[in-house]
Amino acid sequence: MPKLSIDGREVSVADGTTVIQAAEKLGIYVPRYCYHPGLSIAGNCRICLVELEKIPKLQIACNTPVTEGMVVHTKSDKAEDGRRAVLEFLLANHPLDCPVCDQSGERDLQNFYLNFGLYNPRFKEQKVKKHKAVALGPHVMLDQERCILCSRCVRFTDEITRTGEFGIFNRGDHAELGIYPGNELDNAYSANVVDICPVGALTERDFRFKARVWYLSSAPTVCNGCSQGCNIDMHYVLDRPHLNDGARVVRVKPRYNPDVNQWWLCDEGRYSFGWIDRARLSNVRGPSANATWEQALTAISTALAGLRKERKGARIGVIASAQLTNEELFLIREIFQSALGAQVSASVPQKPGSCDDFLIKADKNPNTLGATLLGLSGPDARDAAQIVDEGLAGNLAALWVMGHDMVELFAEEKVRELSKKVSLFVFSGTNENPTVPLAHWVLPSAAYVEKDGTFVNCHGRVQRIGRAFPPLKDSREDWRILLELAGKLDLPLDWRGPEQIFRALAKALAPFEGLSYETIGAQGVDVSTAERVPGAVAP
Amino acid sequence: MKLSDLEGKAAEILQRYEYPKAAMLPLLWLVQQNQGYISPEAEAWVGRFVGVSISHVREVVSFYNMFHTEPVGRRELRVCTSLPCVLRGAEDLLERIKETLKVSPGETTSGREVTLTEVECLCACEMAPMAQLDERFVGPLEGETVDRIIKDALTEAGKPQSTPEPEPFICSDGPVLSTRFKDPDGTWFEGYVADGGYLAARKALTTMTPQQAIDEVSKAKLRGLGGAGFPTGRKWSFIPKTTKPKYLVVNADEGEPGTFKDRYIMERDPHALIEGILIAAYAIGSHKAYVYIRGEYFRSAKRLQRAIDEAYSRSWLGKNIQGTGFDLDVVIHRGAGAYICGEETALLTSLEGGKGFPRIKPPFPAISGLFSCPTIVNNVETLACVPFILRNGAERFAGIGPDSQGGTRLFCVSGHVVRPGIYEESVGVTLRHLIERAGGVRNGNKLKAVIPGGISAKILRADEIDVAMDFNSLMAAGSMAGSGGVIVMDETTCMIDALASAVKFFADESCGQCSPCREGTGWVHRIMRRITEGQGTLQDLDDLLAIAGDMEGKTICVFADAAAWPIQSYIAKFRDEFETYIRTGRKALIREKNREAAVCPS
Repeated sequence: MPKLSIDGREVSVADGTTVIQAAEKLGIYVPRYCYHPGLSIAGNCRICLVELEKIPKLQIACNTPVTEGMVVHTKSDKAEDGRRAVLEFLLANHPLDCPVCDQSGERDLQNFYLNFGLYNPRFKEQKVKKHKAVALGPHVMLDQERCILCSRCVRFTDEITRTGEFGIFNRGDHAELGIYPGNELDNAYSANVVDICPVGALTERDFRFKARVWYLSSAPTVCNGCSQGCNIDMHYVLDRPHLNDGARVVRVKPRYNPDVNQWWLCDEGRYSFGWIDRARLSNVRGPSANATWEQALTAISTALAGLRKERKGARIGVIASAQLTNEELFLIREIFQSALGAQVSASVPQKPGSCDDFLIKADKNPNTLGATLLGLSGPDARDAAQIVDEGLAGNLAALWVMGHDMVELFAEEKVRELSKKVSLFVFSGTNENPTVPLAHWVLPSAAYVEKDGTFVNCHGRVQRIGRAFPPLKDSREDWRILLELAGKLDLPLDWRGPEQIFRALAKALAPFEGLSYETIGAQGVDVSTAERVPGAVAP
Repeated sequence: MKLSDLEGKAAEILQRYEYPKAAMLPLLWLVQQNQGYISPEAEAWVGRFVGVSISHVREVVSFYNMFHTEPVGRRELRVCTSLPCVLRGAEDLLERIKETLKVSPGETTSGREVTLTEVECLCACEMAPMAQLDERFVGPLEGETVDRIIKDALTEAGKPQSTPEPEPFICSDGPVLSTRFKDPDGTWFEGYVADGGYLAARKALTTMTPQQAIDEVSKAKLRGLGGAGFPTGRKWSFIPKTTKPKYLVVNADEGEPGTFKDRYIMERDPHALIEGILIAAYAIGSHKAYVYIRGEYFRSAKRLQRAIDEAYSRSWLGKNIQGTGFDLDVVIHRGAGAYICGEETALLTSLEGGKGFPRIKPPFPAISGLFSCPTIVNNVETLACVPFILRNGAERFAGIGPDSQGGTRLFCVSGHVVRPGIYEESVGVTLRHLIERAGGVRNGNKLKAVIPGGISAKILRADEIDVAMDFNSLMAAGSMAGSGGVIVMDETTCMIDALASAVKFFADESCGQCSPCREGTGWVHRIMRRITEGQGTLQDLDDLLAIAGDMEGKTICVFADAAAWPIQSYIAKFRDEFETYIRTGRKALIREKNREAAVCPS
């Protein structure tokens, strides 16, 4: 454990730690372009130069291992002068078109210039002309002139995706970033290169000229695209509908979590947010026009209460979903399974999706493991197909489908028949689908980013999804719908919201024992291990 | 020849290397030599063979300037326009060739006979102004030899050539390195052995421990003659005692403008190098040596290969050398046109099949070099000194030089001297003596300035030449011994043109990895070009100095520093000339004077 001093403060770090990491431990941020903790060290941008006592030349903090007694200055005149020089070089051939750059406002080139810039440019020569607005693939656009050749993207496609699309061609100040002529940057993680680009060279085609980043709000959540549960930030805009055709979600960015997705996110997860603002169910639909929540919940609860009274709870079928939160599944369990004695399943057949050995999982539900821990899915749980068969056999009086498109899963005739056979067919969900018109009652529910709750990913990590913004129009969170229903059924579930529900869940279920929203924190906790410490904080 | 016909040869090349990717450059050479250029199909083919994506093949192809991605003429005429050639009239030469062939550099004649290329230093400054026609070096290209080379360029390869073989002055009177330089066709195995060759290797392998060999070289005070001057014995001692394979890599990527010594060792006395390699490999415990020869040195590679083949057939290389139980394989690896590959870590990256990017240190090559194994990189001339040391004793070698450095060097004298060429002298010889030995300044002109150690070294004025040429003395004089390339400038030299040529070299040769170097070299090049176009301002001089200062000491390797030193020293020592030039546009006047001087018989 060498002990060293950085800017007059002492710190002990493990052997092999670099100066940039040691500085981070003290909260001292050394500027960087080519350095990225998820990639190999390139050492080419030279912006992280620091002064080391007894060493005449400035050294790069990213590749200098600490030694016992080392004395580092990151803010001395010499270090700052070095950075000033490096920045001037980096900007020599940079087009300085920040006002029209999508990455303006969130890029380090700009930020560091504000800190260390020269503000009195000496460069009077013609800049090197390179290619602009080159579409590299479905998601990424390249501006070669803005590129500072840090090689982060090259290392990403070499080391993370191992697809090797990027290269830096030619040499000297004619060196330029690109992909091989005629090829496409179309790997499953391509847009990550935009996130790690420290300038505006790589931009998202989807986000291109949509909004200035400073108009965006950001909320931490978890991707619901598959069972990996990658941590993301949802970037949205509520007060400037003209920026994004009225849609609230503008883009999705990966959020660092060392135990789940590190810095990365697949393109499929990144670009599947459209449903949050498109073709949403926004009003309650029932037998009569202008149905209200009150009418719906009264009608439904009356029917359910009637079945309970006749001890015919088993004639209620609930096809729940691994898209729902643990809290909601727990309520379903308490209300339908325990109190009403209904047949409940969150085990719904699904076509296996694409998968790889990195982040993308074939199971496209974010909470299959949560549903399994709650006994609603998995080998011991009832299967949705069984419930459908029961319904078709005339053994069900009520059927509640949560989110699924039954038409796609079980064929239209069967669902039509079901719809006739049961006297109550409730559909609750977020979006229109062919099942919706066949339901007797349609309850618009909130998208996952519109509600709080937790998912358990495929590796057993329970993570909080937070709430980015309120539910759209008249839609309601599933937990709220369920709690109101419980109230109408006179069930003593007096929880006010997800956090309280989770507390009860943690008491009831061993794998969650002792957990709370506080201990889950922003990075989640592993439910499958005894050690339940909050995830490490991002460096 | 189709790519599929090259597969057998390609498989054979792959066998030479521990990792397939290292076969990148030889495979690209194989394709280019058989198809004339490297097509997209060939890039994909090579990528499959060596196991990298096509983007990375393209990175490499576009990095080295000898590779063509499009068909070129039947022949290629590469005209050097680096400083030593410029001093001898390369700009006029290029103009004449352009006018006669009616093409600009980068273009091919209408009948596709020849492609004209303007190149940086080919390290044949002893025959400046010079050019390379396909594989052959020709020069000095003055008067009617210019017509001859143009005629040859338009004649098919293989037909009789009219340009005479260059006959520069190459010393052969020793005492250490040049004793077998007399025959332009080279000294081969029998001749080398007759002159006491391989006695030193036998002595090392049969009577000395590796440590004793290292100690002997340390006692001889041999210092790295590639330019850095690091004590060779000490360098060898850095090799850790691990079971990992160890590599000896010979730096024959001679590229420093003004330097041409290693070529003569490889072409005239190749066995001296092989014997040096053998002893060094024994000393560091290596059983595999790579000789990285710059791509332009076709003949050096061929001759050294011939000598290696001889050594294999006489059991001086291969398994169980001379029955001693020591094994050593030597593989020649050819570069493809990139000065930076002379930097030892760039050389390793290049040898491993990448662009010639210098590596961040740590780790240092002695710990983790070629293929992440302990590696020693030594210059050709350095290793060629080693047999002499073991044969004649460390004291003898050390005694030739001053206290701090033993032995001699092959000083390369070029520019405005009567007799450019190679002069072997004690490392302690004075610069004045070297210039005198080269016949003094041409035409009885006055000396104006000298670069003592290759283009990167800081320039010395005429009144600073009473300095010894060893590493320490030149460093004390504010310059450096570098690679031993002495570039002499007489009174007709325009220092602005000279600096413009130097900065063009660094802009063309920067690998582009580190931002201060990539952007800085291009920036100063554009400022200097603007000045020579008559658009300079006095502020430019201060800007040049500031930019040079900002480039210094901030990059992975010392290329950026080397690019900064000429700027700083030329402007510091000739500021009046720069200012007058900018104020009055004296360029035309100096050019005229230069031309008059050049046509005088020398």
